[in-house]
Amino acid sequence: MIMMTEEKRSDWFVVGARGRADAEAADELESGLRRAVESSAKVAVDFSALSYISSAGLRAVIQAARAAQAAKVEFVICSLTQPVQKVFDMSGLHQILHVRGELPC
Amino acid sequence: MLSMLEEVVLLAVDEKSGGLRSTREFATAYALVGAVFFDLALARKIDTDTESIRVIDTTPTGNATLDRVLADVAQRTDLKTVKEWIEELFHRKDDLEGEALRSLIAQGILRHEKSKLLWIIDVERFPLVDNKPQQHVKLRLANAILSDEIPTTRDIMLVSLAEPCGLLHYVLGESELASRRPRIQMLCQMETISRKVTDAIVALEAALRSAMTKVV
Repeated sequence: MIMMTEEKRSDWFVVGARGRADAEAADELESGLRRAVESSAKVAVDFSALSYISSAGLRAVIQAARAAQAAKVEFVICSLTQPVQKVFDMSGLHQILHVRGELPC
Repeated sequence: MLSMLEEVVLLAVDEKSGGLRSTREFATAYALVGAVFFDLALARKIDTDTESIRVIDTTPTGNATLDRVLADVAQRTDLKTVKEWIEELFHRKDDLEGEALRSLIAQGILRHEKSKLLWIIDVERFPLVDNKPQQHVKLRLANAILSDEIPTTRDIMLVSLAEPCGLLHYVLGESELASRRPRIQMLCQMETISRKVTDAIVALEAALRSAMTKVV
């Protein structure tokens, strides 16, 4: 299960994800991230409360990042928890996504 | 839309002769298994993480190959990891390839020809009837590799299956592949299934080398 939050902070649109990003939650995650991409030129994804991410969850993030790239929207993934960081490291996603330790705002 | 399994098999068809090319046969077998799991993941039937595989929906997809594998994965509780399932399905490589070829023939993309070599040896060929689907697969692979943009998840999967079978050599030249090697390696790492496919190939090749050394 995943809980999504949205918040406007200065010129950033911050999307938070809490819980588990698995196959059941992938659609909700992707649509939440895409909605943010359509709403702002700067999107920060806060994963500080995301405890788990599966392959389906990663694909949702990749698809949203791809939409951001096409729309020339700045899209950063922030504050990964340890288990999620491990998955990002193994998959090498930090090489094509902008990943940073803390929120930019 | 073709399945990942059909796309990998179609890529292995020599566009001139209609022969099935496999530069590394064991690798191709593993890649076909990986393709089936990718198809099931894209159909939202299974999900994977760094190790385990989980069935999330057992309703049939309508594709006989996928539904058979899905039913197996749902029933067998003794196999839990992606690695175990890749090893289990490795032995069904001929079934997977044959079913994909039959489907491509039924869709009017390939035709089946049987002939005799030196009047004795049966030779099967699968000439292209419609070359556009294969060209489309090659174009997607080339774009995913040569561009610096984020590829679609399907194209990431396709690169990660074509690479271990040596099929990228039929898409891009040696110098292009060499210059984009870091990008190819990065794409091959992104999906758990393809990482496990590569691990299985490396392990098998090491075992074969070891066996050959002992024989020599």
